[in-house]
Amino acid sequence: MAAPLYTTSSGLLWHAGKILIVVAGLPARGKTHISRSLERYLRWNGVTTEVFSLGDYRRKTLGHAKDLPDDYFSHGQKSNETTELRNSVRSRCERDILDFFDHAGQVAIYDANNGTQESRRKLYDRFHSLGYHVIFLESVCTNQEIVLANIRSVKISSPDYISWNPDKAVEDYMKRIAEHEKHYEPVEEMDIPWIRLVNVGEKIQINKIQGYLQSRIVFFLMNIHNRHRFIYFARSGQSLIEHSYRADSDLSQSGWDYARRLKNFMMERRYLNMEERKQNNGGVAEDRNLVIWTSSRRRSHHTAWPFIKDASVEAEGARTPIRTPAELDEALPLPHEQGITVSGPASPRPPPGLTLPANQLAYPKIKVVEKSRLCEINPGVWDGLSPDDVRSRYPLEWEDFLRDPYGHRAPRAESYHDLCIRLEPILVELEDCKDDLLIISHASVIRCLLAYLVGLPAHEVPAVDIARGDLIEVQPSAYGVKTRMFHFWSGPGRKDAEAENSGLDSEMGETKPDSQADSTGEGLYSITTSPPKSNLHLDRTYRSRNSSQGDLEDSLRMTSPAIEGEHQSSMFAIGLQKPGSGGADVILTKEETKVANSLGSPKASAPTSMPTPSPSKVPLPKRQPEVNEEPESPTHASKVLPKIEPSLGADEAGQVAAKIEAADTRPTFYENVVEGAVKRKKAHGMSSVQVATPPSHTTPIDGDKS
Amino acid sequence: MYAKPTGNLRPGFFGAKGSMMRKFDESTIQSRRESRPSSPPPAIVGIGTKVARPDYSEEKIVLAMVGLPARGKSYLSNKLTRYLTWLEYDVKVFNVGQLRRSKAKSKASKTGKKEVHSASFFSHANDDAARQREILAEESLEMLITWLHEGGNVAIHDATNSTKARRAKIEKRVAKEPNFSLIFLESWCDDPAIIAANVALKVSAGDPDYIGMSREEAERDFLARIKQYESVYETITEPHLSYMRISNVGSQVTLGRIHGYLQSRIAFYLMNLHLKPRAIFMSRHGESMYNVEGKIGGDAPLSPRGMQYAQALPKLIKDNLGDAELTVWTSTLQRTIQTAELLPFTKLTWKSLDELDAGVCDGMTYEEIEEAYPEDFANRDDDKFNYRYRGGESYRDVVVRLEPVIMELERQDNIFVIGHQAIIRCLYAYFHNLPQETLPYINIPLHTVIKLTPKAYGCDEERYKVPIDAVDTHRPKPKSSTAPVQDVPLNTTGRQYLSPEDPVDTTVVPL
Repeated sequence: MAAPLYTTSSGLLWHAGKILIVVAGLPARGKTHISRSLERYLRWNGVTTEVFSLGDYRRKTLGHAKDLPDDYFSHGQKSNETTELRNSVRSRCERDILDFFDHAGQVAIYDANNGTQESRRKLYDRFHSLGYHVIFLESVCTNQEIVLANIRSVKISSPDYISWNPDKAVEDYMKRIAEHEKHYEPVEEMDIPWIRLVNVGEKIQINKIQGYLQSRIVFFLMNIHNRHRFIYFARSGQSLIEHSYRADSDLSQSGWDYARRLKNFMMERRYLNMEERKQNNGGVAEDRNLVIWTSSRRRSHHTAWPFIKDASVEAEGARTPIRTPAELDEALPLPHEQGITVSGPASPRPPPGLTLPANQLAYPKIKVVEKSRLCEINPGVWDGLSPDDVRSRYPLEWEDFLRDPYGHRAPRAESYHDLCIRLEPILVELEDCKDDLLIISHASVIRCLLAYLVGLPAHEVPAVDIARGDLIEVQPSAYGVKTRMFHFWSGPGRKDAEAENSGLDSEMGETKPDSQADSTGEGLYSITTSPPKSNLHLDRTYRSRNSSQGDLEDSLRMTSPAIEGEHQSSMFAIGLQKPGSGGADVILTKEETKVANSLGSPKASAPTSMPTPSPSKVPLPKRQPEVNEEPESPTHASKVLPKIEPSLGADEAGQVAAKIEAADTRPTFYENVVEGAVKRKKAHGMSSVQVATPPSHTTPIDGDKS
Repeated sequence: MYAKPTGNLRPGFFGAKGSMMRKFDESTIQSRRESRPSSPPPAIVGIGTKVARPDYSEEKIVLAMVGLPARGKSYLSNKLTRYLTWLEYDVKVFNVGQLRRSKAKSKASKTGKKEVHSASFFSHANDDAARQREILAEESLEMLITWLHEGGNVAIHDATNSTKARRAKIEKRVAKEPNFSLIFLESWCDDPAIIAANVALKVSAGDPDYIGMSREEAERDFLARIKQYESVYETITEPHLSYMRISNVGSQVTLGRIHGYLQSRIAFYLMNLHLKPRAIFMSRHGESMYNVEGKIGGDAPLSPRGMQYAQALPKLIKDNLGDAELTVWTSTLQRTIQTAELLPFTKLTWKSLDELDAGVCDGMTYEEIEEAYPEDFANRDDDKFNYRYRGGESYRDVVVRLEPVIMELERQDNIFVIGHQAIIRCLYAYFHNLPQETLPYINIPLHTVIKLTPKAYGCDEERYKVPIDAVDTHRPKPKSSTAPVQDVPLNTTGRQYLSPEDPVDTTVVPL
């Protein structure tokens, strides 16, 4: 029942077999960037993919560049010792690739120079004879500026050049390239399938590429670009019947307020980003449009209404009524929020007294596009049901669902996997889009897209925490993405659990009264799948399996019920105030829908604890917060805090949740191939409970502490 | 499997049955009055709304074909047109050859003198003819640009454009138009077998240039014409151009400076095309219990007659296909899975093949909907393609979600799609290039297998009716002024040799 779409019995997708992508090219040609982007894309599509970077293996085996023999990077005659070293690194890497294929891996990306026909031919013969499809992917740069920019931005900050003088590092690196250039043989093997990327996507040549997955890869490579831009995400405003998919209900009163606040805040953020960019650009302003995508659901499209309406007013030449930050604030306080003190701005603001130039606030170049693909996950026959209803009516389904929240498809519903497949064209469009983009959509959709951008594995998708009232800002860069989260709104409906799901949690509470889960999402799906909230906040940088033991323990404690409980109760204290001040909002709770007779009278039921399936089933974090990114938060409690304070009222100065650079958001594979592969196999098989083995049980063979 | 819910209505169910929805909508209006949306969008009530067409007005692409005659240029442009039109882009092919023939024809009917367009006309030594052809190409390009200004999205310039000089001219002209993007699409081929097949097709397909000639004569002339082009042909090497070069029907593809979403979609689509002979079978599921009860949507099992249909299918397919390989695609709903159950082939389940979601009307009969919401019901028939059920989908939404299915269908060999009424309608409309207005009314009867055989310029169709009775679920458009869509197989394999506007056309024209 819960089989993911289009999987063959072997567990491989699209009948594509197993594919080895051999990346070739001189150093500083963006090979790693391309490999990682591709890995992210394929993984998100459910294809088990892993990048094997020879450089990482070398660093792992032999230490940093300065410790290597002088002839390590030179061609031609080498000392026996060096040859042996090189071979040992290579064979270790290739052995791991084979291991990976043996353990349910489908696509391996071999990221190395692979600069000679002989070495490539050897690889091809070896893997081809074993029945794997081998593709060469060559990255060529004819534009020297791209190469230099690449060296400056990426290479000299690589672990090889820690504590080097930048100029000296560049020089050393150029020397390395020059050595390679002498011996480099471009990919011209006409009998082998290959893709050649010229100047990072300026031109693509393809030879004998066949197969769906392969042509998908090409299509994707056509759309990646390096242009600077921002992608913003926000959830839609609260609607009148949050938990019903069918009702497609309109925004509630607070939803309308939310929409207005979102617009104002978004304009500010964009203004500040443009200003910052202008300064970095030497005062040259960039001309970038803002495109807004909404789903075709009413709550989502109507949340973009202020953008549409204001744009049309401005198009007619009317004066924009709001000009200054002060005016902005004045426009904001709303009937609902009278009980809550809004004392400070929600983000770093322009200095007081500054008048924003009319054209910066007005932003005539806004385009709102409605896309039916962005609709939230379809709950199928579970629409409108509480978890308890589901459990009693569909007990087997429910168990399957708890076991595999990502892959399980309830009757007539979509699984998260289905949703990802549906969103795939959106994702390519998103990669291609060169304008700034604001996506106003639903928690489930944002989860999937964000998981792609940040590079989370599929089974973690259902657990990503998306609160209403946060603006998520994603800035793609060469090595991953920079993610920031801004809290701009704390009105009713921020946490769905407060009102809409109150009927359901009281019933569920009995199972595990003090296990708390974050309940941000549309109804059921997120309630039951979200792990404790500190696990997966995107406002932190996560490092994968190579974090130290201490970090792992930290995170275990961070998710302990006591701390979560404390945090939850303070949140609910606010929640309790809300219904009283909610005025005329008509919000149907599930109970009310059941009876269908209490329309017009908001139900002020006290939200109680949200259940998690059971602590042992909660996927524990594989990614660790990087402690040094938040030097000011040494205790566990304060690590949780940045996410809590928004719910406490919008009064903290730094409501910017965190300002983190994602240095490397992707897991690396080489520490523990077998274990990783076994885990992966389990993840794709039946039991995600196994995946949730506490990380303390995993013992990295080698902790790369550098 | 799962435990079936008991009782008729689940708790939490929100639908158009009963008075709950009406009450809720009334209270919504009240709630909106008290909130302060900056300028409220129109209030929303009822079971659905008409949805506006997506705005593609910013897409302006000139796609100029490059390639010798008989290299499949018209095939590619034809396919692309069908695909992009189906996705609601406004596409038009400007075929210089058609323009030439139409002009010659009207001239001939005026003066009574027939111009001879034999190989010598295409010789580059023939200055007069060369000038004429140059003028024709320019005229066609101007028509194309005018059309794009008038609201078109993708204009295909179907000519040989075989020299650098000609391409530079096109580039210069298009560069004058801000926001137009220009892509050259070269179809290059040196495989004699492919060329010979293309030549044979061209000569035998009733090209007016060769009317009255014997087959051999025509072929000789056509080969001579190709020679004329070959002598000056320059393949695309200009590095600054945005282009796509397809060699030997896709064995090697080069993409240069292809940017933009639609542009790369086009490239991706063309990469997935193939010309291997194959068949696409399509059928609706067998009659379901909901069909019998007249209800829409749901996930009902097959009726006894539907089961009979499922039992009859394996023999029908076997008789038709012999030992060839076939893959069966079903939706995730049990009525299609049950229908496919006995077929001895690989089966794949596509979420995207699920029936159009009727939202709040799911599980109701048309009569019930009409009774509860008569106005909305009439609205749907007013513009069925654009009508989206509340909490559900419109036909357009279905087309959008079927796009990956089409891409995959183009790539695959023999496929049997077991789908639903709306799904098969959309797929059928793609293969026969049927317009949006008629799409939602295409008659796809139950217990009938449709076999489509894609050909270079369209599809041949056969229908196999299995003699097992089933209810008729087809609702024709009430008081329709447009002609009802025919129930007989369509054959859309004819190639157009004259401009579509040309009233005196003797060739087979797609419907």
